[in-house]
Amino acid sequence: MSYKFLSMFLEQSQAVAHRLLLEQWRQGRGLIFWAVFPMAMMVLFGLVYAHNDHMRAGLDAAAAGILVGAALFFSCLGGTVAILAAERERRTLRRLLTTPLHPAAYFVGVVLAQLQLALLQVVSLYAIAGFIGARYHGSVWLGGFVLLLSVFAYVGMGFFLGVRFAKKSEEVVVALSAIGVPLLVLGGTFFPLEIMPTAMQWVAQIDPMLHMNQAFKGVAAYGLGVAELQGELIFLILFCALSMVLGVKSYRHLLFMEQQE
Amino acid sequence: MTAALQILGLFKQFGPLQVLKDFCLEVQSGEVVGLLGPNGCGKSTVLNLVAQVLKADAGQIALMGEPLDQLGSTSRFRVGLCSQDCALYPDLLPAENLDFFARLYGISKFQRQARVEELMNLFGLVPYASTRVGRLSGGWQQRLHLAVSLVHRPELLILDEPTACVDVAARQDLWRLIETLRAGGTAILLTTHQLDEAERLCNRIAIMKGGRIIAQGSVSQLLTKVKGETIVKVKSRDHDVTLARAQSLGWRVSQSAEPLNFLLEHALSLREVVVALDGPEVISVSVQGVSLEDAYLELLGEGAL
Repeated sequence: MSYKFLSMFLEQSQAVAHRLLLEQWRQGRGLIFWAVFPMAMMVLFGLVYAHNDHMRAGLDAAAAGILVGAALFFSCLGGTVAILAAERERRTLRRLLTTPLHPAAYFVGVVLAQLQLALLQVVSLYAIAGFIGARYHGSVWLGGFVLLLSVFAYVGMGFFLGVRFAKKSEEVVVALSAIGVPLLVLGGTFFPLEIMPTAMQWVAQIDPMLHMNQAFKGVAAYGLGVAELQGELIFLILFCALSMVLGVKSYRHLLFMEQQE
Repeated sequence: MTAALQILGLFKQFGPLQVLKDFCLEVQSGEVVGLLGPNGCGKSTVLNLVAQVLKADAGQIALMGEPLDQLGSTSRFRVGLCSQDCALYPDLLPAENLDFFARLYGISKFQRQARVEELMNLFGLVPYASTRVGRLSGGWQQRLHLAVSLVHRPELLILDEPTACVDVAARQDLWRLIETLRAGGTAILLTTHQLDEAERLCNRIAIMKGGRIIAQGSVSQLLTKVKGETIVKVKSRDHDVTLARAQSLGWRVSQSAEPLNFLLEHALSLREVVVALDGPEVISVSVQGVSLEDAYLELLGEGAL
């Protein structure tokens, strides 16, 4: 891979990320809402947990669950589906086709934008969580690494869902509800894995959201390290590689469909 | 001289529909070539093939003598496409749109700033620098759309009905901009349904029908392909009577809908036409020389010449 290709690739990725964040900001203060959303969730959960003494111990895990299962789910997965639907509707996808934009650079650009959004959500959520009394126990670097993998995975899934199920903006919520939310349930966001029927537990093992939840809760709420989370981390790393391939292939498929129209 | 664009024997099929059949065309640097033809004749397909949005089934496209197959994706640095749809980011400012697309071409920050400023000035966008693109009128969006196609200084510019949805004033402005680009040496391939636009902008016009070119040349060359000198337009209460009278005079019918058009091989004055057609069914008569529109209709009606 030549230096020229790499620098062009990075420039293109940064251009896409910068554009997406600028659009987010201009579209009804999108960035603020993405920060407010996890904060509001944390306040509401915090009030419920504080009201029930026997639940207080679960507050740390709740903070981690809200971040991965709600905040990142909607911003990174839902946001990616919405980005693709908007590109289709505005016909900008066709214009991008005529530029030298590399499909992988577009994917990485979306990841970079979502990572910055995720950082905003982490900071705002843990600011409120800390105020309520929740604590972050593990390594910040390991937590950051798990979130990086989670964002990557969510974006890849977003590309897959967006290309196949959301041609218009109106279809974004439908695609997210019909496919994304069941994955959330299987991922242990609403119920712990242990109380699910055995068959569901088996199926849940291939749901990346389960591994994101378990890995981040493990680090943030229980202070676990790399050794204890080895299985989750390996799954997430492999899924990220698959996600990248899936995302780029989906994007190429999208371009192909655009050519046929 | 090497042609900026050379297309040889292009074939393209969509499902059972053969859209292009042995399509050939050349565009030189500093030349505007107009592709004219009815809807569905394959104009946009040609543009999309040159811009590498589509792939041809057979045939060859060369840019500055280099085949597109060999250039691969690098051809995208040499071609600019301005499609019918105003594909811009509505929440960004005009300069932000230009800057975004310039970054995709890997243009350095310093050069990008200079290029964005140059295009903002050239296209008169400076007064709208702080207006989001979505709030600009159609005409200004179209200008920006064209400016974006030029951000990487393409050698070949492809314009797909560039003034289809703009008002008269914006159309005139866009025409002037296209003329400026032509004078600067850019090769331009454009499609349009507006014959006055083709007449004003194009050095050469290629008329397409059924996926191939049936005639091409300058406006004056195309006019010579019409076998006649005068067009007589008649409004009549009884078409059958007027048609029969005109045909008895040896006039050829070039349009049998209202108004009736007849193509005469020799020039006749209005007085001579009125005398010849005289009858109570005739409402009005006008006589004019053959125009590009007449040539276009004639050529399409006759098929290959």
